[in-house]
Amino acid sequence: MGLLLACTTQALAGGVVIDKIYHPYVHPLEQEVEWRAVLQDRQPGMADNTQLYRFAYGRAISERWSVEAYLVTEKSNDQNFRVEGYELELQWQLSEQGEYWADWGMLFEVEKSATRDLWEFTTGILVEKEWGKWSGTANLYMLNEVGSGATHELRGQLGLQARYRYSRAFEPAIEFYQGQDTLGAGPAILGQIKLANRRKLNWEAGVILGLDSASPNRTLRLLLDYEF
Amino acid sequence: MYPGLLLGIFSHAAIAATPVIEVEIRDHLFYPSEVRVPANTKVKLLIKNLDPTPEEFESYELNREKVISGNSKVVIFIGPVGPGDYPFFGEFYPNTARGVILVR
Repeated sequence: MGLLLACTTQALAGGVVIDKIYHPYVHPLEQEVEWRAVLQDRQPGMADNTQLYRFAYGRAISERWSVEAYLVTEKSNDQNFRVEGYELELQWQLSEQGEYWADWGMLFEVEKSATRDLWEFTTGILVEKEWGKWSGTANLYMLNEVGSGATHELRGQLGLQARYRYSRAFEPAIEFYQGQDTLGAGPAILGQIKLANRRKLNWEAGVILGLDSASPNRTLRLLLDYEF
Repeated sequence: MYPGLLLGIFSHAAIAATPVIEVEIRDHLFYPSEVRVPANTKVKLLIKNLDPTPEEFESYELNREKVISGNSKVVIFIGPVGPGDYPFFGEFYPNTARGVILVR
């Protein structure tokens, strides 16, 4: 019954709201291979221990635009590892870093379910503001589903991050997420390791704690991103 | 229509008054390699890459990373930041392309 409920009400990407926080910058001539994981324990209406994995390749296509393609996979206590969907994402840098009071960008994403007649379209605003060694970032999204399995409702989603730029390899942060059946906050750490000229490994890890009864109790998010 | 554009309109006067400092890249070196900038003031670095190959201005201390294509120029906004030495380097040629922003 729990699984049925999850299947009938769940949005794409497993209905998981907690993910990485996007920064509103595009780095021309850069390519990346990315792995992301979101592992949550228990959440009403979702199978226990739902795990979402994204594998992606992305590149800048101009000075202000980048594109990234994802394969989204999922597993849980009720379900073996399977391909859940495919995503294509476009990011647009709207302003030069430091030019205005805050830096602005936009994100456009389309996701197709691999198992259902379901498409999800996302439009997001990305904002970042710097205060000395602190950087505050906000991601505000509107999501809409289309297809026979769609709920046809417009949903909002918010992600916030306050990051302290202590060193290139280690940046502590606090994150907050709000969206469908999710209200959570918790600590994260981020960093970058320079491997060689024009070769970098970015990493992120965060533990997000549910702030209400509808949210997952604990969510672990991980990211590895190889830039070249 | 877009927030950035809207902000651009409202802050046009402030940006017009932003001091401009020119830096050149030649033979994978920054000229000048020491750039003096007033403290607590936003400045606009106009970086001209005179080499045919791309270079990337990178400074973790200033939280800036910007690619400059060969034979082209870009603008990088810095600050306002407090007094101090803020190193930068060229990501493509880090052994030669090095410099420091001296904020006083």
